[in-house]
Amino acid sequence: MEEVNKFRVYKQRGRLYTKSITKNFSPFGEKVVRYKGNEYREANYERSKLFAAIKKGLSQTGIKEGHKVLYLGSSHGYTPSFVSDIVGKGGVVFCLDFAPTVMRDLVIICEKRENMIPLLADATKPETYKDKVLKSDILYQDIAQREQVETFIKNMEMHLKPGGFGLLTLKARSVDVTRKPKEIFNETMSVLKERYAVVDYRELDPYEKDHAFFVVKKK
Amino acid sequence: MSIKKLREMNLAETKKAIKNSVNEDIIVINIINTLEEIEKQTNSLVMRLRDFYKLKHPEAESRISDNEGLVKNVLSGNKEKSVMGANLGDDEETLQKIALMCKELYDTKNFLTKRLESLLQKYAPNMNYLAGATITAKLIREAKSLRKLATGKSSTIQMLGAEKALFRHLKSGANSPKHGVIVNHQIIQKNKDKGKAARILADKISIAAKLDFFKGEFKAPLLVKEIEDKLKWKK
Ligand SMILES: C[S@@+](CC[C@H](N)C(=O)[O-])C[C@H]1O[C@@H](n2cnc3c(N)ncnc32)[C@H](O)[C@@H]1O
Repeated sequence: MEEVNKFRVYKQRGRLYTKSITKNFSPFGEKVVRYKGNEYREANYERSKLFAAIKKGLSQTGIKEGHKVLYLGSSHGYTPSFVSDIVGKGGVVFCLDFAPTVMRDLVIICEKRENMIPLLADATKPETYKDKVLKSDILYQDIAQREQVETFIKNMEMHLKPGGFGLLTLKARSVDVTRKPKEIFNETMSVLKERYAVVDYRELDPYEKDHAFFVVKKK
Repeated sequence: MSIKKLREMNLAETKKAIKNSVNEDIIVINIINTLEEIEKQTNSLVMRLRDFYKLKHPEAESRISDNEGLVKNVLSGNKEKSVMGANLGDDEETLQKIALMCKELYDTKNFLTKRLESLLQKYAPNMNYLAGATITAKLIREAKSLRKLATGKSSTIQMLGAEKALFRHLKSGANSPKHGVIVNHQIIQKNKDKGKAARILADKISIAAKLDFFKGEFKAPLLVKEIEDKLKWKK
């Protein structure tokens, strides 16, 4: 096991892992490897855009041990569970999704992972959960909706600490099916640059088609 | 507030919200999904039943083309003579078990069909009258809720269930689809100008959805009449 950059993400034979904060719990059927007394859960980069971006050479995630993370579009909790490993027991991940169906699974996982907190709310209305989250060090967004960039900026402004990092996965098709993905990526890049320092950018093919991953820093 | 407190509060609130989120839309969607699954399963299982029955009574098997009739025939212990048929011996019980399972599927299908009908008669009476329970349920599934059907455009209703074809059209210029799940409606089936019929039907379904969602009156028979007039008038 070898750490990738300083991400608290580990690599072994091309596969990516995080050091698990739970024992004997792999809710997604993910492979668990024991190494020097710790359990490492395998994060499949074909299933998680964060890990696809890491696989494609991301230079910074901004996520550190002990961080508070606001995760928008947590779905069943796949990527959030690995982010929860990365921030460790001293950190916390607020997992927000507006679909009760996925929340049912997520709640079960949150019960087992003490640093994960579920929130059934709409990411486009950040004021509605202002009393339910803490100011965060990291904003992660993966909602695949038309207004994803506006939503990201609204949440960056309201819920992220100055100096904090924002991680945005962008699905071109949800913005506009008829336009070229590259065009949408470029456009998003300039919108983000107006407000933030864009510290990294990756396109996620072949792991995710027509998806891009942005890492920005709030001033 | 401490993180621990905040976590407990959010967990409790989320659980409550999830509990309260179960509504008619979700039940309708689950029923129609289950019905579709039962249909598939029944077809495969009846094929296996036919394989077995053919050994015992090839003449009867080939005569009875109706699947449900075949199941009844097997269960009734058909005593007709067969020249080609073999004695199944202990596997007569195997045959009966498979037939019983098919019957169970038909019974569940009938139960769910009735259940869907009575649910929709209350929840979406106008749509149900106009489009029938199956199409109504599929439209609710594709739109995700009656509210979305009622607040969306009728052109969207016309295309619901044809998203994949629509996407292919936008991307590669393949033929543009004219209709989605409403295509099975007899008004479209019977009409030569399917595009036109689909447009008119979608328009009225949209009105029906609004009536249903905003708890308006029952006007569906009038809507049906309007559709018929429009299609006739055009001819
Ligand atoms: C692509 S999935 C996220 C997958 C997840 N990030 C992972 O990697 O495991 C997108 C999720 O965003 C949620 N979503 C979409 N729009 C939303 C909104 N406005 N507010 C909250 N959640 C939203 C959907 O319900 C869906 O679960």
